[in-house]
Amino acid sequence: MSQGKKKAKTGWSRREFLRTAGVAVATIAFPEIIISCGPQSNVAPTAAIPKPRKGASIRLLQWTSFVKPADAEFKRQAAEWGDANGVTVAIETVTGDQLQPKTAAAVEANSGPDIIQMQYGWPQLYTDACLDVSNEVNILIGKLGKPDPVNEAFCKVNGTWRAIPYTVVPNAWTYRTDYFTQAGVTSFPTTWDELAAAAAKLKTTGKSISQTDGHAYGDSLTMWNPVLWGYGGKEVNADGKTVAINSKETRDAIKWAQGAVKAGFVVHPEWLDPDNNQAYHADRISGTLNGASIYIREKIEFHHFTDVTNNAPMPAGPKGTFAMNLIFNHAVMKWSPDAETARAMLLHLMDKDQYQKWTMIASGYNAGPFEALHNDPVFASDPKLKAFQDVVAPGKWPGWPAMPSKKTAQAQTQFIVADMFAKALANGGTGDIEAAITAAETSLKAIFERP
Amino acid sequence: MGTATRAEPVPVWHQRRVRIYDREAPLGYLLLVPTLVVLGIFLLYPFFFGMWLSITDSELGNVGKFIGLGNYRFELRNTDGVFYGAVINTFLYTGVTTVFKLGLGLVMALLLNQVFPFRRFVRAALLLPYIIPTVLSYEAWRWMFDPTFSVINWLLVNTHLVHYPGPNWLGVPANAMAALMVVNVWRGTPFYAISFLAGMQVIPVDLYEAARVDGARRWQQFTNITLPLLRPVLLVVLLLSTILTFADFQGPFVLTNGAPYNSTQLLSIWAYQWGIPGGAIGLGAAISLVLFPLLTIVVAAVLFMLRRPE
Repeated sequence: MSQGKKKAKTGWSRREFLRTAGVAVATIAFPEIIISCGPQSNVAPTAAIPKPRKGASIRLLQWTSFVKPADAEFKRQAAEWGDANGVTVAIETVTGDQLQPKTAAAVEANSGPDIIQMQYGWPQLYTDACLDVSNEVNILIGKLGKPDPVNEAFCKVNGTWRAIPYTVVPNAWTYRTDYFTQAGVTSFPTTWDELAAAAAKLKTTGKSISQTDGHAYGDSLTMWNPVLWGYGGKEVNADGKTVAINSKETRDAIKWAQGAVKAGFVVHPEWLDPDNNQAYHADRISGTLNGASIYIREKIEFHHFTDVTNNAPMPAGPKGTFAMNLIFNHAVMKWSPDAETARAMLLHLMDKDQYQKWTMIASGYNAGPFEALHNDPVFASDPKLKAFQDVVAPGKWPGWPAMPSKKTAQAQTQFIVADMFAKALANGGTGDIEAAITAAETSLKAIFERP
Repeated sequence: MGTATRAEPVPVWHQRRVRIYDREAPLGYLLLVPTLVVLGIFLLYPFFFGMWLSITDSELGNVGKFIGLGNYRFELRNTDGVFYGAVINTFLYTGVTTVFKLGLGLVMALLLNQVFPFRRFVRAALLLPYIIPTVLSYEAWRWMFDPTFSVINWLLVNTHLVHYPGPNWLGVPANAMAALMVVNVWRGTPFYAISFLAGMQVIPVDLYEAARVDGARRWQQFTNITLPLLRPVLLVVLLLSTILTFADFQGPFVLTNGAPYNSTQLLSIWAYQWGIPGGAIGLGAAISLVLFPLLTIVVAAVLFMLRRPE
C-alpha cells in the first residue's frame, strides 16, 4: 500500500492557501465566471430538500386533461399530500387555449397561482416570472435519471432550470382497422409516401384519413412540423437566427403534402383540436393524428369502435422519423409566498410511485419525462398503446434544430408552418407553393430578425 | 319676558365652505371629481399605459425601454406580412356588419314599434343573443358551421339547395369571413333595434297624426319624421357599434382565430397573437393602437354631426 509511504499532511501549504484565496477573491469579484463554470453534470452535489410549511396555501393552474379521471387522480394526490403536511392545496384546471391568457395575465400582474403548468416554450417567454428550480430538478435527476431532451430544452433557459419536467403527451396515429382492411391496406404506413398511397385507397371507403392544417394549437403543430423535418426542412438554422424555410427540402415536404391531398388525404383548415376527435368518434374519418385520447375515450367511454381502432407511430420521411408531442412542465412562480412548499409538492407529485399511479389512470395519455419513467407499466397494459410510447424518442420541439427561445415560441403561436402548408394545400392541394413559402419566410424573418 | 338669543359666530373656515357650496362653478367641479377619478383609474390609466407600452420594447412581465415609433414602423412596413391583410379584413368586417346591423336594426325597431299581440314578449326575446354567454353562443355557432355536424349544411342539403356535404363555412377564406360577419350581425343587431326602438318611442305621436292629416304616406312619415328625430340615437349607436366592431375579438377568436392561413386575421387577434402568446406586449399594444388616429377622426366626425343644428 502506498499510503503508508506518504507523510500525512496537516495544515495548509502555501500553494493551497494561494489557490483557495485566489478562487475566493475571483468568486467575489466575478461571480458570473464561477456560475458559468458551474457544475454541468446531472448530479447535484448539495441538493437541499425543500420542506413544506404547515399552514401554507398552494394554488396550481394547469390544463384540463382530455382524460378526466387523470385530473381527478392528480387532485387526489395533491390533496393527500396537502392533508399530510398541513397545506391547503387548490388545483385549478382550464381548457388548453385558456391557459396561456391566464398565465400571461398572472405574469403581467405579478400575482396569481403559485405553480403554473408551462406548455411548450413558455419558460422562455416568461423566464423572469419562473423561479430557478435547478435544485429540485437535480434531486429528480438523482432519483429518476436523465430528463427527456424535449422537456429539458423547454425547461432550461440559459442553463438554468425554470420549470420542472412534468409530462409528455405523445401524439400518434389513431386509425380504423376495418376501413383499412376494406381498402386493402394491411398495416399502417411507415413512410409518408406510403401514407399518401394509403389515403388514396381509403378514399374509396368514403372515410378519409384526415387532419387539421388550421390554427389548432396542438394538432396543427404535431402534424406539419414532423412532415417538414422528415423531408429535411426547418424554419431556422441551429443558430436560432438564420431563417432557413426557403429551401428545396421545404418544397419537397409541401410537394408530398399536395400529392397526398390530391390522392385523398383530407385537410381541414377549420378544425381546432377537438374536431378530429369528434369526427373520429362520429365515424366520419378512418384515421387521424392525435394524443391517445381518441383511443382511450373509445375504450373507456364510448365503446363504439374499440375493437377496430388501433394506433401507429409517425411515418418516416427521407430524412428520418420525427414526432412532435405536447410537452408540459411545472414552474414555481416568483410571486409565490410559499415557493418552498410549492417545490416540495411538485417533488412529491413526481415521485415514481405517485407518478405511475397517475399515468395508469391517465391510461396512456401521458408519458413520464425522466429515464426511470420510460417503461411505464401503462404502456405494457395494452399493446395498442405502444405507438404512443414509440413517438416519445423521435420527438422534437417547434423551431428545431434551434433551441427553444422567445422567437421560436412566437413562430409557433403564429402557426407559420401550419399556415404555409395550408396555403399550399388550398383548393384540393393546388395552392401556390412559392407564395406559401415566401409568406412563411417573411413572417419568420419578422420574428427572428427583430431585435 | 323675552329671552335674548345671541347667534354663535360662524367660524371663518365654515364661512368659506358655505361660499364654495353657494357658487355653482366650484361646486360643479367638486361634484365631477368622483367621476373623473373613476374615469381616470379605469379609462385613462389603461389607455395611457397602453400608449406607453406601444412605444417600448416591453415583454410580458418586463417593462421595456423606450424605442420611439419602432413598433409602429415594424407594422406599417408590413414586416410580418400579415398586418395590412388584417387592416383590410378589419375594415371589411366592420363596414359590412355595420351596414347590415343598421338596416336590420332599423327594420326590427319599426316592426316592434307597432301594436301586436305578445309584443312585450317579442321585445324581450330580441335580447336573447345578449343573454346567452358570449363564448357559449360562439361555440354554438362554431358547431353550426362545422362541416361534419353543421345543422346549416344538413338543412341546405336536405332541402336540395346544395349538394352534399355543403359549403365549408370556416375552411374557405371567403366563407369564413362571411361566417364571422353573420355571427357579428346576429349578435349586434338587437343592440341597434332596442336603441332605435327607445328612440322611436319618444317621438311625439302628434307629429304622425298631423302628417297623416296632411296626406303623408308611411314612407314619407318615416323619411320626414322618424329618421330625422332618430338621428341623435342613430349616430350614437353607429359610433359605439363601429368602435366595438373594430375591436371585436371574442367571436372571431373562437370561430376562426385567423384561420385559414390568416385570411380572417383581424387587428384585434393579431395584436393578441403578438402580445399574449408571443409575449411582445409592446408590439401588441402598437397593433391595437395603430388605427387610433383614424378612429378618432370617425368619432370626431360623428360628434360634429351630433352637435350640428337640426
